[in-house]
Amino acid sequence: MFKVSGATGGYGKTTIIRDVSLEVQPAEIVALLGRNGVGKSTLMRFATGLVKAQAGTVEIAGVAAPPAPSKRAKMGLGYVPQGRFVFPRMTVIENISVAAASNGFDAKQVVAELFEDFPLLVPKAHDLAGGLSGGQQQVLALARALAIRPKILLLDEPTEGVQPSIIDEMAGVLKRVNQEREIAILVAEQNLDFCLSIAERAYVMEKGAIRMETDRDSLLADKVLQQELLGV
Amino acid sequence: MEPDFLATVLLSSLSSASILLIATLGLAVVYGLMGVINLAHGEFLMVGAYSALTATQIGLPFLLAIPFAVFMTMLIGAVVELLIIRRLYGRIFDTMLATWGLGMVFNQTAVLLFGTVSPGIGMPQWNFRIGDFSLAVYPLTMIVVAALLLAFVYVLMTKTVYGMKARASIQEPQMAQAIGIDSARVNTLTFAIGCGLAGFAGAILLPIIPATPSMGLFFAVKGFLTVVVAGPVALTGTALTALGLGGGASVTASFMTSVIGDVFFFFVTALLLWLYPLGISSKWRRKL
Repeated sequence: MFKVSGATGGYGKTTIIRDVSLEVQPAEIVALLGRNGVGKSTLMRFATGLVKAQAGTVEIAGVAAPPAPSKRAKMGLGYVPQGRFVFPRMTVIENISVAAASNGFDAKQVVAELFEDFPLLVPKAHDLAGGLSGGQQQVLALARALAIRPKILLLDEPTEGVQPSIIDEMAGVLKRVNQEREIAILVAEQNLDFCLSIAERAYVMEKGAIRMETDRDSLLADKVLQQELLGV
Repeated sequence: MEPDFLATVLLSSLSSASILLIATLGLAVVYGLMGVINLAHGEFLMVGAYSALTATQIGLPFLLAIPFAVFMTMLIGAVVELLIIRRLYGRIFDTMLATWGLGMVFNQTAVLLFGTVSPGIGMPQWNFRIGDFSLAVYPLTMIVVAALLLAFVYVLMTKTVYGMKARASIQEPQMAQAIGIDSARVNTLTFAIGCGLAGFAGAILLPIIPATPSMGLFFAVKGFLTVVVAGPVALTGTALTALGLGGGASVTASFMTSVIGDVFFFFVTALLLWLYPLGISSKWRRKL
């Protein structure tokens, strides 16, 4: 369904990830674990096309993805970046509408649907996104990614700087869209609890490469690995 | 001081400010939505003026000559974006150099095609009187034109899908691409619209400012400063700055001399840039 093969890339002449391969099955939630600076975000950006490939390919729904990020979005690749990057001088509605309209969907209908999923955005509908709190911006970034009706959703550190009540709400919505709309999810996280609450399977990254692949039960049993992932 | 004189000064200053705004809006759109400073903006205005002039000379009525000028400048603008601007994104000084050079090319081409002096267009000169003072009607209608143009651009950029895409692309370029916006195409259209606005200005101002190859220079300097003082909230900022600087300079000029009016313009510009290095609108919470 979603497949990254032999991903090698970085910034300028610096290579950050080397020969990384991973796969997400349809309607599966997979976690990407690892400490700060191991290349999780770079891998995410490689998958979107925002980091140029030195080598390697990306496959979305069985089709080889073209290099342009906008074309990958149209193929069904949704992306929530670390740090949210909502459009600050646009309203909440506009942030969602522009994503929907750019992919040929009816903006009004998509906004109405997403406001049902994320009721906390409703009172802020006409506020500029730049004025929202961190948690609200995170929810908006997630809504914007869902507005393109993705087949695969990439989430980069969605819980960073977000209050616990909103984290629970996000976990609930992610599980629901995963089951109801069969959206596959790849989530990069430091927050182990959040990952274990939604993901079935996980990849652990180290020094720009995949160190191991594991599932929820083995991870829950492996206290040493947990310590290592949480350790600072 | 007599009220008649005050009313006259007020109206003619408002009209000067409106003319500055009309001439600057295209620059503001391109800077505000692409981050590109188009130093050939004045020359696009000149191209618009000559297009309208040529159209009237072959017999088109003035009202149809204006859309013709807009069409021509948009077309040339789109080609310039595809051939030059596109290759220089994110390199603001290189873009300035390239567009400056482009302006020179346009300027010299106009000299070759039309010569350095050109006829004005024959428009009926209506005047009306306030007490002892007589005012020309056409420059005053520019107040209405400026207001309509501002409203048009505002609606285009805030109420249409294209406008949302353009704003998203300048605010977070990478995320705009990641949600499926083809920024390259949006930028071509934005640049063409900016050039079209310059062409509109050149055409509609033709009865006031006759077409000459070097007419762009005057607008380039003041327009550029207006846009830089305005800052990131391009439209509202530019409207206010044009009103304040252009109107202020014109009022000053009415009471003293036009040289002192220009001194006012540049002095206040320097003061504002010293106080707000990122433009007066850098901290505003507004869409555009």
